[in-house]
Amino acid sequence: MSTSAHSHHDPKMRVEDVRLITGGGKYAADWNFPGQLHAQFVRSDRAHAVIVAVNTEAARKHPGVKGVFTGADAVRAGYTKPPHSLTFAGVNGMKARAPERPVLAHGKVRFVGEALALVVAESAAAAADAAELIEIEYRDLPAVVSPEGALADGAPQLHEDVVPGNLALETEAGDAAAVEAAFANAAHITRLKLEVTRVAPNPMEPRACLVNHDPADDSYLFHVCSQGITTLRKQLSAYTSVSEDRIRFELGDVGGGFGQRTPAYPEYCALMIAAKETGRPVRWVSTRSEGFLSDTHGRGNIIEGALALDRDARFLAMRLEWVNDMGAYLSPASPGHIRNTTICMTGVYRIPALYAHYRVALTNTTPVSSYRGAGRPDIAYVVERLVSQAAAELDVDAAELRRRNFIPPEAFPYKTPTGSTYEYADLPGVLDKALRLADWKGFPKRRARAEKRGKLRGLGISTVIENSGAGQAAKDEVELELDAHGTVVAYTVSKAQGHSHETTLAMIVADALGLPLDRVEVRQCAPGKQQLQGNHTGGSRTTVGAGSVCHLAALKLIEHGRSLAALDLGVEPSQVEYAKGVFRSRESGRSVRLGDLAKNGAVSVVGEGKFGSTFPNGCHIVEVEIDPETGTTEIASYATVDDCGKVINHTVVEGQLHGGIAQGAGQVFGEQIVYDPGTGQLLTGSFMDYCMPRAGMLREISTEEHPTPSKVSPLGVKGMGESGCTASLPALANAVVDALRPLGVGHLDMPMTPAKLWHAVRTARKGGN
Amino acid sequence: MYALNYVKVKSLAEAAKMLASNPEAKLMAGGMTLVPTLKQRLAQPSHLVDIGALPELRGITAKAGTLTIGAATKHHDVATSAVAKKAIPSLAYLAGLIGDPQVRNLGTIGGSVANNDPAADYPAAVLGLGATVVTNKREIAADDYFQGMFTTALEEGEIITRIVFPVPRRAAYAKFAHPASGYAMAGVFVAQTSDGTRVAVTGAGPGVFRWKAAETALGKNPKAAAIEGVALDAGEMNEDIHATREYRANLVRVMAKRAIAQLR
Repeated sequence: MSTSAHSHHDPKMRVEDVRLITGGGKYAADWNFPGQLHAQFVRSDRAHAVIVAVNTEAARKHPGVKGVFTGADAVRAGYTKPPHSLTFAGVNGMKARAPERPVLAHGKVRFVGEALALVVAESAAAAADAAELIEIEYRDLPAVVSPEGALADGAPQLHEDVVPGNLALETEAGDAAAVEAAFANAAHITRLKLEVTRVAPNPMEPRACLVNHDPADDSYLFHVCSQGITTLRKQLSAYTSVSEDRIRFELGDVGGGFGQRTPAYPEYCALMIAAKETGRPVRWVSTRSEGFLSDTHGRGNIIEGALALDRDARFLAMRLEWVNDMGAYLSPASPGHIRNTTICMTGVYRIPALYAHYRVALTNTTPVSSYRGAGRPDIAYVVERLVSQAAAELDVDAAELRRRNFIPPEAFPYKTPTGSTYEYADLPGVLDKALRLADWKGFPKRRARAEKRGKLRGLGISTVIENSGAGQAAKDEVELELDAHGTVVAYTVSKAQGHSHETTLAMIVADALGLPLDRVEVRQCAPGKQQLQGNHTGGSRTTVGAGSVCHLAALKLIEHGRSLAALDLGVEPSQVEYAKGVFRSRESGRSVRLGDLAKNGAVSVVGEGKFGSTFPNGCHIVEVEIDPETGTTEIASYATVDDCGKVINHTVVEGQLHGGIAQGAGQVFGEQIVYDPGTGQLLTGSFMDYCMPRAGMLREISTEEHPTPSKVSPLGVKGMGESGCTASLPALANAVVDALRPLGVGHLDMPMTPAKLWHAVRTARKGGN
Repeated sequence: MYALNYVKVKSLAEAAKMLASNPEAKLMAGGMTLVPTLKQRLAQPSHLVDIGALPELRGITAKAGTLTIGAATKHHDVATSAVAKKAIPSLAYLAGLIGDPQVRNLGTIGGSVANNDPAADYPAAVLGLGATVVTNKREIAADDYFQGMFTTALEEGEIITRIVFPVPRRAAYAKFAHPASGYAMAGVFVAQTSDGTRVAVTGAGPGVFRWKAAETALGKNPKAAAIEGVALDAGEMNEDIHATREYRANLVRVMAKRAIAQLR
């Protein structure tokens, strides 16, 4: 892989690597304040019940306890209405039905793990002991954990009149009539019912939050795992009616987010009540078990898909019927993953007619929110599984079917039937490169060799595109501050959770200013700089948004510096040239160093910009080998060709790709949240039962780039933090299905565990299926 | 974790005394099962009696056709011991499959055998090799020791001091790890001894057990093909969200065949 010409340092080394890898990171649980109290939440141990009574008397008397709070306190504070962004219109003008959610459950509990009381005490042990003394009288109600079950007649009602039928929203996209007409004339229709399983994002750092209340101005200071302060602040403010200017943050490192660290959780608001009431800092650190129960889950969609083709195997239309599981309440970030499935519904293909119908269901389960890709992997999974299935049914090469139906390069910018506009992609170019990299044509030989070893070898492909980079903030701002040493500090309100912003953003600034990398420092969400506007880190948007603004701010600093230097040099600004940290007057030959401009005080500029969506795209080709004796799958090879626009730092980009692919592999082969259908108890509530991907699962990923610069931002970059996950889900699943297809297996859902594959093989060999 | 008294004893006698005088006390060696249980407040012992560092409980020695491993010997030490590798290589191999490096550097053979987790690895070797569990009170044959899920012949206050393994002619262990936990979903230890062939199975059933039909078949023909059609009742296997009884029964047969193919 070539090295970026813009790289000013060892491209393999990221600025944050040494700190994070040697244990030098400072995470939310690493903050401590004198006099702090420790919090313990009491959580519902049942999925659906009326709270008849909560007796806190014994807990209040327990030594060291300084406060006990319940749903009544949450209601008294008025902390009952979480914000949500399911704001798009539904069928027949339907608006989303958003249930209230007191930050501590009041009246009813609706999922196992829902917090309904909070104890704060002088020690974590005292708080835990006291929490066990709280007596709760419940009246059990029948629970429903499957979204299809929740929408069925006679299902237990979670929110009674507020959300009748547990249907939070019914919505649609595309043109139903056009699709119906196209299906009527189709030569072939491929149908699949697919589940994009519910998973637990599981960042390495457990959730933690420390809240200080300052009575002087009735403000709150948070130390919390966050993906950026602006969205969290806005949501906390909406939930609590505490104005945004009274919510401040001090953030260190964040150990993974994947969307799960974006929302304002009810626990945070409950801690605000406790901090204000006790006048003491209140600190809460979640256990992993609590995390499984109360951190938002991801995905959780069931899709009935149908793809219509003409006699030349050209796509005519696609129809998708979605059931989206949102859990017991609408999380503040929940709907993104629905909307994203319409933006890229057509995938990389010219499909003249599209229609999707969505029923958004509430269930007695942990709320679902955005998870790496937020709907983009879901739609790519559906489209790419349908396409590969159609190829198999029609006996057309899976790559050839894709090529035949690609949106051709000359058709860009391409307006899709669901109303979005793709900027550009060279899909045939990406595909050709990937087919070569993966030696697509050599597969039959490799399959034959595997067969001799008793292994079932499969070939899977996905060609995907996704919207990334755009955010909901009015604009992105970055402040650059120059000191007398000529060091430039870039302040952002985005927040890395392992994304290497300190490297990528610093490289952008250093490059624009012609400075060595070590003269630029990136500070994220710094105290005193929290008035800056901008998007949080999510939706693959930081390099597109904050990154582009870093570039613009640096240019602004040069222009501002030029006029200051002109005064010093006694010439007109137009006569001053800038290069590599030095302003020079050509006429006099005199010069002023960048740092000199700040000798009487720091020089600061704020850059800003607003950027739309970029459309990273790529092709992933996978080969797997299945051991029919045990059902174990081995990923034999993995090749990717990705177009993520101009690359700032190849190591960072590769790291994002690798992580995304591993996350996809985790979901395809092992991860799944499973509830007991009768009791609503979580059956996969620890790593003993919830199968995380292991490092050995992906031994080597062959990666090539196929960059076509985006014109959305001056950097030419495309947001690519999620594309690995988006492409890997369908590529891996297609490979497994391809391996089993010769036996007669036509369909499998995730997770494709050894046990499931062994049963599939056995059933097929018995002549079943 | 509930508040408790932690006592690091200096001798086996002191440990026995602590247990005798505190009925709610619990022994701890590596703590690899006990500590997570305590952290989740699923147990509330009055005392933790730590015997993990007692020198008389550690060490690996081979003599006169036996390999003796002290109860507090760590998995890592067994996995990397030249003595163990020479005497019973399959046992050293098994120890290297337990948990992860952190677990292997804290967990002990005595702790594993005393806990008798139905999916632990060591019970398969102890039963498969027909080892002897030596305690501070007596010697217990493996066939008498394991009594089903988390149940053993150990009496209140009895402390395992060492395990004595007879060195087999050939032996092998094949494990199919649970994809999430890494415990055995099916682990089969096959040993050819002077008394015949023994086949011990862990992970698949409610406790470690001997697959006697396979032992008989292998006695007649020590080849993997010999157990192809040998009876194995899937009804006796565990079933849960991860795998059916039939799948586990299949794994037992497949792992047994793989172990037989690797006998050395």
